[in-house]
Amino acid sequence: MIMDQFGKILKFELKNYFASKAFVGVTLFMVVAIVAVMFFPRITEAFDQGEQEDAETEEMSSAEDSGIMLIKAEEQETADGIAQAFTAAFSDYEVQVTQEDLGQIKERIKEGDAACAFVFDDATNYTYYVDNLSMYDENTAIADEVLQNLYRINAMVATGMSAEQAGAVMNMPINGKTESFGKDQMQNFFYTYIMIFALYMVILLYGQMVTMNVATEKSSRAMELLITSAKPTAMMFGKVLASCIAGLLQLLLIFGSAVVCFRVNASYWDGNGLIASIFDIPVELLVYMLVFFLLGFLIYAFLFGAIGSTVSKLEEVNTAVTPLTFLFIIAFLVVVFSMSSGNVDNLAVKVCSFIPFTSPMAMFTRITMSTVPWYEIAISIAVLIASTVGIGILSAKIYRAGVLMYGTPPKFTTLIKAAWKA
Amino acid sequence: MILQVDHIEKSFGEKQVLKDVTFAAEGGQAFGLLGRNGAGKTTTIRIIMDVFAPDHGKILLDHEPIRYGEVSFGYLPEERGLYPKKKIFDQLVYFAQLKGMEKTAAGRSVDAWLERLEMSEYRDKKLDTLSKGNQQKIQLITALAHDPQIVILDEPFSGLDPVNAMLLKGVVKETIAKGKIVLFSSHQMNYIEEFCDGIAIINGGKVVLTGGLNEIRRAYPRNRLVIRSEANAQILQAFGKDAAYGEDGEVILTLPEPEAKNAVMQKLTQEYDIDEIRVAEPSLNDIFVEYTREQI
Repeated sequence: MIMDQFGKILKFELKNYFASKAFVGVTLFMVVAIVAVMFFPRITEAFDQGEQEDAETEEMSSAEDSGIMLIKAEEQETADGIAQAFTAAFSDYEVQVTQEDLGQIKERIKEGDAACAFVFDDATNYTYYVDNLSMYDENTAIADEVLQNLYRINAMVATGMSAEQAGAVMNMPINGKTESFGKDQMQNFFYTYIMIFALYMVILLYGQMVTMNVATEKSSRAMELLITSAKPTAMMFGKVLASCIAGLLQLLLIFGSAVVCFRVNASYWDGNGLIASIFDIPVELLVYMLVFFLLGFLIYAFLFGAIGSTVSKLEEVNTAVTPLTFLFIIAFLVVVFSMSSGNVDNLAVKVCSFIPFTSPMAMFTRITMSTVPWYEIAISIAVLIASTVGIGILSAKIYRAGVLMYGTPPKFTTLIKAAWKA
Repeated sequence: MILQVDHIEKSFGEKQVLKDVTFAAEGGQAFGLLGRNGAGKTTTIRIIMDVFAPDHGKILLDHEPIRYGEVSFGYLPEERGLYPKKKIFDQLVYFAQLKGMEKTAAGRSVDAWLERLEMSEYRDKKLDTLSKGNQQKIQLITALAHDPQIVILDEPFSGLDPVNAMLLKGVVKETIAKGKIVLFSSHQMNYIEEFCDGIAIINGGKVVLTGGLNEIRRAYPRNRLVIRSEANAQILQAFGKDAAYGEDGEVILTLPEPEAKNAVMQKLTQEYDIDEIRVAEPSLNDIFVEYTREQI
């Protein structure tokens, strides 16, 4: 009986999602956006081929597209030496030695005739002139290094070394290799981040939908009939699973279209390690992703559903879900901050990776970005499965007790007592 | 088929809502569950339908503890409400399916009921485009489409115009004639009097009166006569202090010797031009007010 009802409820709720304009609209929009992004390099290349000749001439000038860099020193020899070194270091500037006085140089920069100027008192002291100092202006840092090298080479030459020998000493190439026995954080970072973020979005979005769904049935009093027609457990599990399937399907469509488009356009994305790394998820991680995603989604959706059953009016929904939303956002932030810090094995994440409400994100992050012993993963998943089932049953009981309570939202303790009896 | 509510007790927190509620409703008859607002009728109904478990007591069907998996209920709740934004046919089929019907059978039954209640034209409309009375007819279908054995109707006639009320009366009579147990809850006493054979009056969570409506009426002393006549004034004079005017201008005659009832009636019809003469029976309204005036 329960299974039969569960199936019918699941079907009915799923049909609601697929018939909803918002669901279809958002999915379509996302798929179109993804397809557009994935085809972007192919399209731009098609355009570029048409304009190849223009592109070539542009290439010539692009070597100096940052503009003119002026060099001024008291001694002509110093100026030439520096200009030579700077020409090599600042490939995107046209480096020119100038004899103009300071006023003229400033004037040229202000007018935009020159981009910037280095005015030297001697080989190790200079003033850098520029109109707007960009946040990312690294010219002085580069100049400092070039000048330091120049000074050292000159010093070595002064002791009797040849310029070539000095240059070789300064530019001794070092060969190093890295062998990692664990995870390459850099490579895994992006798809971990995407999965965590997708989980975050989907849980908040669908969680609210489940809450609204239950609250609407309650406020429209359809509940009076539903509660006498179907078992609360069947109702709760049917609703939550339907939202889970709808959410997964939506993600599958979006990411699926991304994967397909990537495969079609793989050659155009060749040079892009970032994009390639996202689509290069090992199967093992994909399975973990699915497991944590499913369980994480379910555990929150059950709670969202239970909350929906405690409100009487739709206006109360937002207030009622706030505590749960906060809990979830905090879990999300802990994980994301740890990810960006690079240390995903810190105590906070370790603890979080065993608490059922945070473990879907925390444990998954640890698995992808660090090396976690198998038994820790097993314990985390076991705890998560047990709590998901427990929370599911509890929320069905809260639902049963909550749906027929109208008026002010019940106190937490009253609710738990009522749920215990139900 | 007989449904027995057997010594049911129920508390919500500190508050005891039902105290030893006992009554029985038979198949092929309608049973009226009466009580003032907040008396415990809805809680009783919910316990019958297994929404709550009682703290004590049980629900029996044919003298055995009821097996909910095998019994089907039809319920028209007092608080009406379905999915406002869904197509009528779709949600009616859904509710019939939840009650255990197969999809095609549910569809056929729903269509038949829409036809019966003259609602076929609204089949593919959204519920919230309908008037309140029409929404109520749709809701009635959720209580009947799956052909339940026990039908519980909470205030079925409220909000219906006279034509729709006639339509519903016909449906209720058919349902009773099919041998189903029909449980009525209403404050409109005329409907209860019209349909119900048995009643239970609940006051403050207790059954203060239950039994067959006719027996209850007969239990009242039959020592008063209601007389309508052109000669009211003369009758009043002839019987002196035993006669008095009633509320609607009729004469109420209280007999000092009830056993002389027939003789008195004979005498009256011989002596005066009588339009109507009958033994005064209390109306259900009178009985209800008498038993529930003081909230226990």
